[in-house]
Amino acid sequence: MKRRQFLHKALHSALVGSALATAGVTPSVGATSVDSLPPLKGKLTLYLGRGEGGLYENVLQAIQARNPDLELGIRRGPTAALANAIVAESKAGVRRADVFWAVDTGAVGLVSERGLARPLPAALTHQLKPQFRYPNFCPVSGRIRTLPFFTEAVTAGRIPQSIMALPDAGLSVGWAPSYAAFQSFVTAMRVLEGDTATERWLKAMKPVATPFAGELGVVLAVERGEVDVGFANHYYTLRLKAGKPDASVSLAFTREDAGCLVNASSVVALSDGALPVDFMRYLLTTEVQSYLADEAYEIPLIDGVAPPEGVPALDAIAPPRIDLTRLADLRPTLDLLRRTQVL
Amino acid sequence: MKLPPGSYLPAACVAALALAPILVLIDLAAGADVLVGSQHLSLLINTIILMLGTALGALLIGVPLAFLLAFVRLPLARLWLVLLAAPLAMPSYIGAFTFYAVFGRGAELEQWIGLETPSASGMLGACIVMALYTYPFVMLSTRAALLSQDANLINAARILGLPLLQAMLRVALPRALHGVAAGALLAALYALSDFGTPAILNVDTFTRLIYVEYNAFGLSQAAVFSLHLLALVGLVVFIESRFSGMEERAGRSLTLHPGPLAQTVTLLSVLPIIALSLLLPLVLFSVWLVREGLASFDATVAVNSVVAALLAAAVAVLFALPVAVAAGRGRIGWLLERVTYLGFGIPGIVMGTALVYLGLKLPALYQTLVVLVLALVLRFLPLAVGALRGAIEQLDTSLYKAGRVLGAGPIELFTRLTVPLTARGVFAGAALVFLEAMRELPATLLLAPTGFETLATYLWRVYEAGLFGRAAIPGLLLVCLSGLGLALMLAGERRADTMPGSTGAEPC
Repeated sequence: MKRRQFLHKALHSALVGSALATAGVTPSVGATSVDSLPPLKGKLTLYLGRGEGGLYENVLQAIQARNPDLELGIRRGPTAALANAIVAESKAGVRRADVFWAVDTGAVGLVSERGLARPLPAALTHQLKPQFRYPNFCPVSGRIRTLPFFTEAVTAGRIPQSIMALPDAGLSVGWAPSYAAFQSFVTAMRVLEGDTATERWLKAMKPVATPFAGELGVVLAVERGEVDVGFANHYYTLRLKAGKPDASVSLAFTREDAGCLVNASSVVALSDGALPVDFMRYLLTTEVQSYLADEAYEIPLIDGVAPPEGVPALDAIAPPRIDLTRLADLRPTLDLLRRTQVL
Repeated sequence: MKLPPGSYLPAACVAALALAPILVLIDLAAGADVLVGSQHLSLLINTIILMLGTALGALLIGVPLAFLLAFVRLPLARLWLVLLAAPLAMPSYIGAFTFYAVFGRGAELEQWIGLETPSASGMLGACIVMALYTYPFVMLSTRAALLSQDANLINAARILGLPLLQAMLRVALPRALHGVAAGALLAALYALSDFGTPAILNVDTFTRLIYVEYNAFGLSQAAVFSLHLLALVGLVVFIESRFSGMEERAGRSLTLHPGPLAQTVTLLSVLPIIALSLLLPLVLFSVWLVREGLASFDATVAVNSVVAALLAAAVAVLFALPVAVAAGRGRIGWLLERVTYLGFGIPGIVMGTALVYLGLKLPALYQTLVVLVLALVLRFLPLAVGALRGAIEQLDTSLYKAGRVLGAGPIELFTRLTVPLTARGVFAGAALVFLEAMRELPATLLLAPTGFETLATYLWRVYEAGLFGRAAIPGLLLVCLSGLGLALMLAGERRADTMPGSTGAEPC
């Protein structure tokens, strides 16, 4: 816990104080410090979509503390519920949210589809790594699909480098088909491998897979040895290991396929003007990005910030190249999951 | 008795209001194409098993407790009542998560005392957990029904040689059946619409189907499936209406005075329920609190919870009164009352979104306390209606005839007879709404003023983030404040008992 508190203090002093307190992190091209940003002034309402364990509260607190003239109102809710509320509000001609921070690109898709997402200046989006630049939404932090495995029964060598080869590896698998992150992963597989191959894969996996309600449950089951390997976003394992360093679970990564998909939480501006965009600039600073990496185990999406301990850098693993907006195409995925009786 | 003029009109208004979210759902569902798969049937069967198992469990726990709390004089009686009702304020996903984390191979209990216990996952575990968080529905409504019974009948039965237990089963219980059924109905509807518990304990139900659609941004599909679920809700609501109350003469209720040994045994038998439903989660979160270290907690969150829940309880009772009065008067009144139940069987997040659409009809009040309270009232109206109807059905109609003969108009009859004679039902209804409102999540998240945090939303936030230790203090506050609110209402109930003309008044 000491490490946690120390980091929290470090972030606080970096954002609140004047000196750049994140020693050891050199801002490179694309990375800015909070010191170079204009102070935020005025009223800003943020709809903060939760789920999949996003930990953004301390970042928001620190931004508020640094900008006393900012009246930041936050409404938290499940990401899908807030997206639906934003759509309902726009139908009624009401706008309450200026910025929507969603854990899920599907939510971003829903809001953009209705023409509610305002275009973002290139100066903002070009701070991101090239594969994360989009005209009307701004990815903030990433999560990697991983294969947590039970270290007492399985060695890393037994896990294939291709997700498509997993059904034949002779391993028992835990998955959470109801979980949004799993559905995004299957959507990515559909985009990358096609519907037929995905259907075949699902059918082959089904006999060796045990379903769980969520991916925290998957990781806990792997750690208890109930299954050999699981499908889960990376941070569940990191968090488990932070509280229990001797936990019998470790992470494996596949290469250049959906098994190693990097998805992102994203922000959308719903109202015009400088304030929403300036607010987003804060989220892309070195300080916030390294805080999210160190403390919330999120993957930084700007150059020059190290990934969380226990996860290789994005260039060291081989995530597939995929347009994140295509992950919003969930309907055919659900139909496929139903047809194969996975869901 | 003839219906008092105008009793249908307010009831119809309230019923229309209660139906409004369902109309919104029908509108949202229009045009959605859904794939009805083969697993639909097995989901339906699972849902029905879970519903019946929960209702049965809630009956097995709730009915004996109701007898105990209604008839047996115990030391600190009010404390026990409050503690036994408090699980209703605890979000059931918290309970399910606790059971998941504590029981099973390698789980907390094994770490604490080295005892390997069977896992709570599966249908049986889900029924048990659901029953533990819904039995107060049965307990409170049965207790209210029992308390309104005149002790003379039971005393007569006992004088005629019936043993105490037999007298309870054959004289008191049949006359309280409507209360039992009303409580079981609420437990059943809760089981139908809850998502968290079956999801955590790995039971596949219809609500999971709805949540998957909802989270995959298929609001229309989620609305369609919610409407499918309504068929089941309607059936259960119809079956429950077959249990109607009987008229009761006003009179003092029965009180038993057990000896010290019997008292101790009784209280000891109650403890496991409190231990499992309240203590276990609090202990678990406290253990995590010690592991994770203390974090600051803002007390206004607790105030927000209590304010919203108390307002919702008061308004819900007000809205429920005309519906409950109309319920006993003709087919239309019956129908008006029944439709107010439908919303309670709709999964919270879908209902929350429907309420957002309704709230937006009042754009000036959208996301203010007014709309939040209205939303809570619409969600929990059936709790108040059920409790009030039970009380009103037992009214002795000859009193009204006497009142009429003495020249009282309908309004005077209502204020001088109906209101005081149904005070117990009013407080039971208010208590149920208050407790449910304390744990309500989706509508509060979407419709509360921006930045308005309640204990339930805070609990959800830390639970979601996996910071379980931070759930300890708000969890404890939730139990304590629910208890305090309940104690206040019970004080009101007691005052009502001593009011002239009420059920507990001196027999003539």
